[in-house]
Amino acid sequence: MNAPSSIPALEVRGVSKSFPGVKALDNVSFTIKRNEVVGLIGENGAGKTSLLKVLNGIYQPDEGELLVDGRPVTLASPRQAFDTGIAMVFQEQTILPSLTVAQNIFLGREEEFLRFGLVSKARMNEAAAAELKKVHLDIHPGTACAKLSFADRQMVEIAKALSLDSRITGNITILLDEPTSVLERKEVELLFAIIDDLKKRASIAFISHRLDEVLAVSDRVYVMRDGKVVKEFDGKDVTEKDMHQHMVGRQLHTEYYREARQTACSEKVLIEARALSKAGAFRNVSFALRAGEVLGIAGVIGSGREDLARCLAGHTKADAGTLEVNGQRARFASVPQATAQGVGLVPAERKVEGLVAQFSVAENMTLAALPKFVAKGLLNFGAETAQAKSWIDRLKIKTPSPHAMTGGLSGGNQQKVVLAKWRIAGVKVLILDHPTRGIDVGAKEDVYELVRDMTSEGLAVILLGDTLEEVIGLSSRILVMRDGEVTASFEAPPGGKPTQIDLVQHMV
Amino acid sequence: MQTRKATSFSYLEQWRRWAPLAVLIALCILIGLFNPNFLSTGNFIRLLNSAAIPVVLCMGATFIILMGSIDLSVEGIVALTAVIVSLLVANDITTYKLGLFAVPVAMAIGGIMGLVNGVVHVKLKTPSFMTTLGIGFAGLGIATAILGGLTVRIADPTFRYLSLGRILGIPMAVWIALAAFLVALTIQQRTRIGAWIYAIGTDEVTARFAGIPVEKTRILVFALAGLFYGLGGVLAAAQFGQGHALIAQGRLFTTITAVVVGGTALSGGVGSVVNSIIGVFIVVVLANGMVLMGIEPYVQQGVQGLLIIAAVALALDRSRLSVVK
Amino acid sequence: MQSKTAARTHTQLNRRSMLKGLAGLSGAGLLGGTFPMPAIAQETTWTLANSMRSLANPYHATFAKGGEEFAKSIGAKYEMLVTEGNSEKGVSDIKALLQRTGGKLIVNVDPNDSPDARVIVEEVKKAGGFVVTQWNKPDDLHPWDFDPNYVAHMSFDGVPNAEAIANALFGAFGGEGGIVALGGILSNVPAIERKLGLDNAIAKTNGKVKLLDFQPADWNEQKAFDIMQAWITRFGDQIKGVFAANDGMGMGALEALRQNSLAGTVPVVGIDGIDAALTAVEAGEFAGTVAWDPMWTGAMGLAIPYAHVTGKIDITKEPKEHREFYGTGVIVTKDTVAAYKANPPKTDFNDLWGKATGQVQYRS
Repeated sequence: MNAPSSIPALEVRGVSKSFPGVKALDNVSFTIKRNEVVGLIGENGAGKTSLLKVLNGIYQPDEGELLVDGRPVTLASPRQAFDTGIAMVFQEQTILPSLTVAQNIFLGREEEFLRFGLVSKARMNEAAAAELKKVHLDIHPGTACAKLSFADRQMVEIAKALSLDSRITGNITILLDEPTSVLERKEVELLFAIIDDLKKRASIAFISHRLDEVLAVSDRVYVMRDGKVVKEFDGKDVTEKDMHQHMVGRQLHTEYYREARQTACSEKVLIEARALSKAGAFRNVSFALRAGEVLGIAGVIGSGREDLARCLAGHTKADAGTLEVNGQRARFASVPQATAQGVGLVPAERKVEGLVAQFSVAENMTLAALPKFVAKGLLNFGAETAQAKSWIDRLKIKTPSPHAMTGGLSGGNQQKVVLAKWRIAGVKVLILDHPTRGIDVGAKEDVYELVRDMTSEGLAVILLGDTLEEVIGLSSRILVMRDGEVTASFEAPPGGKPTQIDLVQHMV
Repeated sequence: MQTRKATSFSYLEQWRRWAPLAVLIALCILIGLFNPNFLSTGNFIRLLNSAAIPVVLCMGATFIILMGSIDLSVEGIVALTAVIVSLLVANDITTYKLGLFAVPVAMAIGGIMGLVNGVVHVKLKTPSFMTTLGIGFAGLGIATAILGGLTVRIADPTFRYLSLGRILGIPMAVWIALAAFLVALTIQQRTRIGAWIYAIGTDEVTARFAGIPVEKTRILVFALAGLFYGLGGVLAAAQFGQGHALIAQGRLFTTITAVVVGGTALSGGVGSVVNSIIGVFIVVVLANGMVLMGIEPYVQQGVQGLLIIAAVALALDRSRLSVVK
Repeated sequence: MQSKTAARTHTQLNRRSMLKGLAGLSGAGLLGGTFPMPAIAQETTWTLANSMRSLANPYHATFAKGGEEFAKSIGAKYEMLVTEGNSEKGVSDIKALLQRTGGKLIVNVDPNDSPDARVIVEEVKKAGGFVVTQWNKPDDLHPWDFDPNYVAHMSFDGVPNAEAIANALFGAFGGEGGIVALGGILSNVPAIERKLGLDNAIAKTNGKVKLLDFQPADWNEQKAFDIMQAWITRFGDQIKGVFAANDGMGMGALEALRQNSLAGTVPVVGIDGIDAALTAVEAGEFAGTVAWDPMWTGAMGLAIPYAHVTGKIDITKEPKEHREFYGTGVIVTKDTVAAYKANPPKTDFNDLWGKATGQVQYRS
């Protein structure tokens, strides 16, 4: 400890980081003082994780600088960050199931246990046991991590970060990215106790979607939005409501979302879920979707809304509860079955799940409805092309021809091809999972227009929007999910829409 | 604050680890019931003898597969090293008489072939599948060119002792295979490389984050595998008393099959050299048992195929797989 | 894979001189295919070529050498084409060479697979070249249907040779008792013929010799080793002799016997006449082998067409037994091995059919 304690343990000055199509961090400045716990909150995609990854040497910033103990540093890798005194607990676990607990904790740093080129397991296990003690985990360090529950693996992950403690003489900083998402109540309390204890020696940054947790442990809270730090709260006098305000805080543009074209829904129920449950994903979800309706589902990562969407479209099966389509009991065992009953899913990862990039526009469009174009066992290319042409006109898809390779189209046009595919397949209920992710503003408006077209034709849409704004703007009704359960339901008629804060309160 | 006991993850998962051993034991019981001779000491030694070379080859291949790569150069390297070692000991073509000193030379050549595999794969970023296929062909080509299709006969009894000699009634080849296994086990359990192989095979990004020199490790492991193949080539030459370009024919399939049947996943990160030993014995016992039971030759290949699928299906944790390629 | 591919044959060349000749070939070249050989004084405008699966086995290496020797004797350009077990490559290499030589090509080809023969013959006829096939061709494809371009088809008859070597085996253990037999790949014609010859020999002993078990070891030495080990467990001293459909498998079985201290006690026979087998015959571990003569097939497959193009013979006027014929297999046993080695078969390029032993028969 050679630097005076007034110098921040870690400081970020004017850091920016861009990825193709997005500015993940935009001139961010951020400080962690000695022995301080800093909370970091924001919507999905606000830039929180990107910031921590810069601090941990995974991302190299395009602009700006990083200071550790007041000295500028360049962190080229997590290993270098570690040697500088910074360790991170990742949101997606990095514990390797095939290695033992001890091997995981000291992965890449085995040299301290080497003797004649061989690793001394006894010494390594002994050292690991000391780290495990810090997280109060009573397991043998020689246990294979495959045998541990996810919560225990998370604790091992934390122990791994804490192993900095006895190995770095200077200040240490621990970055925690959603460490509590797989932990039970008791374990969360334990973690908080550990953080409290650790503060005496370390500085900590903490990301969580659960605002109460952030409030409980943080000395200071940063709010991020769209890659920027928009607010910094000092002390403990902040409320959840204050945080909500700053997490959202953009005005709604009714015109942008074509609210005037929002259709009043009919009485006809297209799909109805009753107490639908799937272990580890969602519990007790009920709703009825009527023709002409857009049902928005809001929730953070891990809220279970993606799992619900996949289940409704036949990708996975529910454990309990019932599903009715057009008034008839349905139990989809596969995607084609769901398609046949009129339910289709437009996935978030267009390139992976929704489109075959090497196929032509026409081939992609007819992929889900191929049997319709088969005569005497052979594909009728004429009919396929004609159908594709009519949809290209209708959706104003910009493509040189129906036979052009889909991979060459812009994101927005690709998304239209996916929508056409499901329309050709004749679905009545279309589930849109982040339909506007990664496409430009103009194309977004086109997609909104298409959603309105569909509802006015009597289709129903389930929307997992990219932003809260989008969910509110497009939906006629909104379900909010948290930790796998529906926590609120809002009617959203034109002019009577809930605010983002209304939703966020139930999301986190 | 109370300390907590770790929760056991899944009984099924525990059981899966033992599936290959269960298959092996079941096979032994079944064949033993059919033909009690199977359980005789003589046959046991014969089984060990048949298993010796596959075990040596599997020790190398297991590490490669644990990394999530594949090595198709087995036959090429074995053939080349077998030919070279045959030409270096007393033989009917050359005048070299290096005796047992030829063994490290042949192993070194295997190691160099493996090193080339690794360097090309890592530096040129070619898939291990293609790289090792190419190097394997090159090995076969060089072996062919050296001998021009002929066979070299070994006339060095000391060298042949590596296969024919016996200690405590057990063939030397078996002792050598046992030593190879112990070396591999030590590498797997007690060295940094051992842990890194698993880390790379499970999640290369995490391995990089942890500061593991991924490229260097990959190259080293391919070279290590080459050393084992070189030893395999030596044993093959000693067993048949000759070297020729076709000596390794069929070795690749047996090796990969044994590794996979033993429960090491082709996707990497799961398995061990112990699994591969079990895998080798499943393959060897099955081949032996089908002859003992007098199963129709036409049926044998079918049984072999079914068993491979069954063993892999038992050992595989499908719940974690969403896409199978 | 066809059987003769696995066949290995005793060569009558000086092994060291042959190694020197082949050492110049690069490993990559072997995989690649054609080998331009050093040009020799050109006395003819015809190009000669032998096409085979691989140079990695002695049979084909010697086959290629036979062609080269003949080409040298007349001062013609000579090329070796290697299929590496790939039919398409085999056909396209020949097509390319036909193109390059403007049809002035004589090719002696061991087709990778029977159907390839028809394609090759048609291509050669179209280009105006001449072709001789070895071992593999469809039963209904005959040289006289493609006069004069399809000059001849040559083969060795597996049935009588296998029968003869089986009898040599029976004699070695006194003509009474059980034997085990290793076969080639089940679908190969030579494997089927050699099994048929063995069956004929067993039938003629009137039950004195019993076939304890038959297993295909796919021409593979290692597989033969493992099967032999299992047989030792299963049958023990009931095994009086081992029949192997080629010498490679026979050597595998012999090594398994050696591991169990049975080498020399239980006699083995093989087919092909590879060096190692001849040595084993001398040592009394092999009861015998059948020696083919790939030097002769490699040379005669070029010499006969060359005789036609130079006007020495008119192939269209030759009888059928000169168009589809078997070569001579030599049964080598302990009694004859010394004489065989001292006086190896010679190839006289001018004696076109001297070693032919009758017209090819179709048994199926």
